[in-house]
Amino acid sequence: MSEKFVFTGHAWVVGDDIDTDMIYHGSYLPLTDPQEMAKHALEYVPGMEDFTEKVQPGDILVAGKNFGCGSSREHAVITLQYNGVGAVLAESFSRIFYRNAVNLGFPILEVPEITQAVETGDRLEVDANTGRIRNLTKGSELQGHPLSGLEKEIMTAGGLFGYLKQELEAKE
Amino acid sequence: MSGKTIIEKILSAHSGEDAWAGDRVWAELDLAVVRDFGGPNVVLEYEKQLDDKPVWDPQKIAMTFDYQAPAKVVQVANNQRICREFAEKHGIPHVFDVNAGIGQHVLLEHGMVLPGSVIIGTDSHMNLLGAVGSFSTGMGTTDVAAGWATGRLWFRVPETIKVTFKGEYRYPASAKDLTLFLLSRVDMTKTIYKSLEFYGQPIDSLTPAGRLTLASMVTEMEGKIGFIIPDKALLAWIGQRAGRTVEAVVPDRDASYWAEWEYDLSGLEPLIACPDRPDNVKPVREVVGTHVDEVFIGSCTNGRLEDLRVAAEVLERMGGKIAPHVRLVVTPATTEVAMEALGAGLYETFVRAGAMVTNQGCSLCTIGHHGVLAEGDVLVSTGNRNFRGKLGKGSAAYLASPAVAAATAVKGEIALPE
Repeated sequence: MSEKFVFTGHAWVVGDDIDTDMIYHGSYLPLTDPQEMAKHALEYVPGMEDFTEKVQPGDILVAGKNFGCGSSREHAVITLQYNGVGAVLAESFSRIFYRNAVNLGFPILEVPEITQAVETGDRLEVDANTGRIRNLTKGSELQGHPLSGLEKEIMTAGGLFGYLKQELEAKE
Repeated sequence: MSGKTIIEKILSAHSGEDAWAGDRVWAELDLAVVRDFGGPNVVLEYEKQLDDKPVWDPQKIAMTFDYQAPAKVVQVANNQRICREFAEKHGIPHVFDVNAGIGQHVLLEHGMVLPGSVIIGTDSHMNLLGAVGSFSTGMGTTDVAAGWATGRLWFRVPETIKVTFKGEYRYPASAKDLTLFLLSRVDMTKTIYKSLEFYGQPIDSLTPAGRLTLASMVTEMEGKIGFIIPDKALLAWIGQRAGRTVEAVVPDRDASYWAEWEYDLSGLEPLIACPDRPDNVKPVREVVGTHVDEVFIGSCTNGRLEDLRVAAEVLERMGGKIAPHVRLVVTPATTEVAMEALGAGLYETFVRAGAMVTNQGCSLCTIGHHGVLAEGDVLVSTGNRNFRGKLGKGSAAYLASPAVAAATAVKGEIALPE
């Protein structure tokens, strides 16, 4: 598995039920350019109004339960990806966000009770292979549920099209 | 060895594998749909990945423009054009343009949705087609582009929860109230990615429109799909539209369910989802008198003829005029619904009452069109989502039945129908 599945970054912590309109509002759905989409990340999450100004490449978004509920919009994943967010660690994910992230090769990890153990600004080291997370600021460790099976294969291939191309090449 | 649930049967039939809950399968698609939101992204992704390669099957691709119909900003007009040009280039015949209405409803009316089919689309409420026993699900850009290329996609076969209702309820309680009742009761940590199967006398009694209402809000329950097995009358309707005989997919008698839940609907009363969550449900009587600025009657959840009819009847019964300070937006789901509503004289009732009747589509619900809210505004909607600021930053939304929405428009505050 590639290097990019082990990484460190600073945490941004948000709460439960962060829906897709908060991550990427419906009024921006007409946008098709990922760089433009990136300007509106988390705009409707209370307290995160300055996120796109302050986020650093590799930062890690930490969320509570049911992250990404609502719409099928892939924009919600793309807007985080194009802000350089390294991964989303959440207590649970909504199904469509989870699937879109896998298909785009964007690292996500389910980590029980992570919002109790991490504060905004903490430095985290994430191993998406094993699911182990070290909070370097607090000196604590957490265990998440890493992807497995087909989802892991798709993620490792860099997303669904990467996977389909690999499959095609294997046949030829 | 136990038997299979509906989703296990459908995904077995479409994958050629012996599919059980928890398995990953590659399933053949019957239809892959885009809207004018998501659609241009799918086209651009398809062309980025595959260039000029022909799509898998032009007959099994559909486009439905309901997000912003007709376009009011150039960006969306461009997006719709991107879709039309792609359809032209690839010989895709099923383009339901901005005058057609809400995609899933249009596809249903055109006989393109069969029980037991597998359909994907760029709309998180695709799964309302579970109301006719189809496994339809909302997907992102990458999925649909891959579907257009290959005609198949990966699925994790969901576990199934059998939901059985009993008890009787009467007007003004409706299918929407049954749906909100369930939303308030289910534990969403348990329904995530589950397939639901709905049974019981109250389900058997639901009209097709009521079935669509319930199935549409399985999304808000975090479920993957909610199946209602179509009855004879509905099968005949679908068969007539599709021009062929159709059969329902039923589970094996010894199907193994992840959970079985039962609910008693006796004494069900009108309910309302309060800001900012669809499951923040209260009896309407507890919030009666709340000031309201705007009312929306329509959407993929409550935009059928019978929804409009109930709303019109309540308007008439309560004096025929909306409160002077209220804006009432009424949107039929499709062209067919609009024609029926015209024929039934409902437009006259609405317009006389002071409503704005818009063209068919998603209207206010997608913030694409018609009546965006001001900061501080309060909306009562028959739609399915009331997330914070969804319909205008700083606004709040309640979700209710067409009867409650109409009564609210008359009173200018949240009200029960008389």
